[in-house]
Amino acid sequence: MIVEDHALLREGMVALLQENGIEVAGQAQDGPGLLRIVDGHKPDLAICDVRLPPTFTDEGIRAALEARRRHPELAILVLSQYVEPAYSGELLASGQSGVGYLLKERVSEVRTFIDAVGRVAAGGTALDREVVSTLVRERHDAASDTAIDALTTRERETLELIAQGRSNAAIARELVVTLGAVEKHISNIFAKLELPATDDDHRRVIAVLTYLRATGA
Amino acid sequence: MTNRIGEPLVRRAVLMPPAGTVCLLLIIWALTGAGYFWPMWPIFGVAFVTALFLAGRWGWRRPPEHTRGLATAAAVSGVVFLGQCAIWLMSGAGYFWPVWPLLGLSVLVGVGWMIDRPRERSLEGRVDELTRTRSGALDVQASELRRIERDLHDGAQARLVALSMQLGRAEERLANTGVGESDLDLVRRAKEEAVAAIGELRDLARGISPPVLADRGLEAAVQSLADRAGAEVSVNADIPHRPPPVVENAAYFVVAEALTNTAKHAPGAAVRITIWSEHDELGIVVADAGVGGADPLGGGLTGLRQRVEALDGWLQVTSPVGEGTTVRAVLPCEW
Repeated sequence: MIVEDHALLREGMVALLQENGIEVAGQAQDGPGLLRIVDGHKPDLAICDVRLPPTFTDEGIRAALEARRRHPELAILVLSQYVEPAYSGELLASGQSGVGYLLKERVSEVRTFIDAVGRVAAGGTALDREVVSTLVRERHDAASDTAIDALTTRERETLELIAQGRSNAAIARELVVTLGAVEKHISNIFAKLELPATDDDHRRVIAVLTYLRATGA
Repeated sequence: MTNRIGEPLVRRAVLMPPAGTVCLLLIIWALTGAGYFWPMWPIFGVAFVTALFLAGRWGWRRPPEHTRGLATAAAVSGVVFLGQCAIWLMSGAGYFWPVWPLLGLSVLVGVGWMIDRPRERSLEGRVDELTRTRSGALDVQASELRRIERDLHDGAQARLVALSMQLGRAEERLANTGVGESDLDLVRRAKEEAVAAIGELRDLARGISPPVLADRGLEAAVQSLADRAGAEVSVNADIPHRPPPVVENAAYFVVAEALTNTAKHAPGAAVRITIWSEHDELGIVVADAGVGGADPLGGGLTGLRQRVEALDGWLQVTSPVGEGTTVRAVLPCEW
């Protein structure tokens, strides 16, 4: 289902999803609409905007968290006009099912967007690369002696892609390296950050973000 | 400041010679038989001149500046009248002639007051009006900036997102229909331009007013700054009501600039942020445990000071070498 107050965007997104074989169970323009449809249709995934009527502040986030509270299995993909780590942090903290926070313009990269939708609906994570790089960069700028500094450029790029929720194969494609090289980078990262390695994409992201937040708190 | 420090010295220098003279005269009078108390005349003369001097000085130091002349004239006139009363007493207290000079002096001071009073009133009124209109203008400006930020997000940016999405869909369809690579490239470039424009609009909007500040208020926005900072930042905020947008914006940029400075000059240093509101003031303290030695007249801090002073607040930076840097600001605000 889709919650978006801007009609042009909402309709475009519905068409985009349907063209790619995704069924759109309902559309809404505001928070109460989101809750009504989630209660009624029990969709796999809710895609929603942050700023919705009537106050155009953070209704989308609040409604998404409320929907999540009522239906813990609901996956949520938030599309935002801007990067706000506070919002993505709240979403990640809200439960174990799929979560995504992407900048709105990512919908123009149709393939990547549809991948992200599929990943989140399946219980995975999709964090915008801006969100991730904001966290990584600002940690890196300020804290000179953290473990992040010990990473090579390639390892840091890999870490950013992991944090976006990409699979190893996707990372290998993105960085134009072999799958083996990616696996080596990842084991190096986990070793340097003292994180236990697992095969689960979602847990990897949580681990990375937990680490990033822990160093700042 | 220097006046205050030198004051006891000045007072001693002025009072010592008259006191000495009076003692000398009393001794001479006593030694010459203590008859008619003639020393009262020189004593009066010395006392009168001293009183005139002190009255003049007192009047001249009265704030505010523009009423100084009048205060001095009134004080000197008072002393002159008292002096005449003393002469009247010492010369036998007959017909009370000092009433005539008193009348003259009163008329002079009264006329001065009447000339000065309306001017003072109008100045006071003008100051009130300027204070009110300035804060009104700043309030309007802050609200307007937030509206512009919102319009950018919800208007132009939303349209650009819709545009980039349609271009993305067009690109997909063209790719599936097997159109030439150069045609496809054209669509792709158009899409990239739209995405770049969205990014530029977003940066512009954030610089005007960060969305989280408008959405959730000062405490959340400061917390968000703290979360993004690389070092250990503790936030202790006690803001029961939301201040006006103009004050929120200024307070936010005080914290943001202070954190930027810390990250630049004392990377990794722990920072404590305290924000409180009391009566009609909002106070902000950002203290780091860094190396100190910041230049309070540096570009960023000067800009910040101007921003705070435009709201009739004040900003103070203390940065002793080796003891960290503390930025304090107080902003008046009405709830």
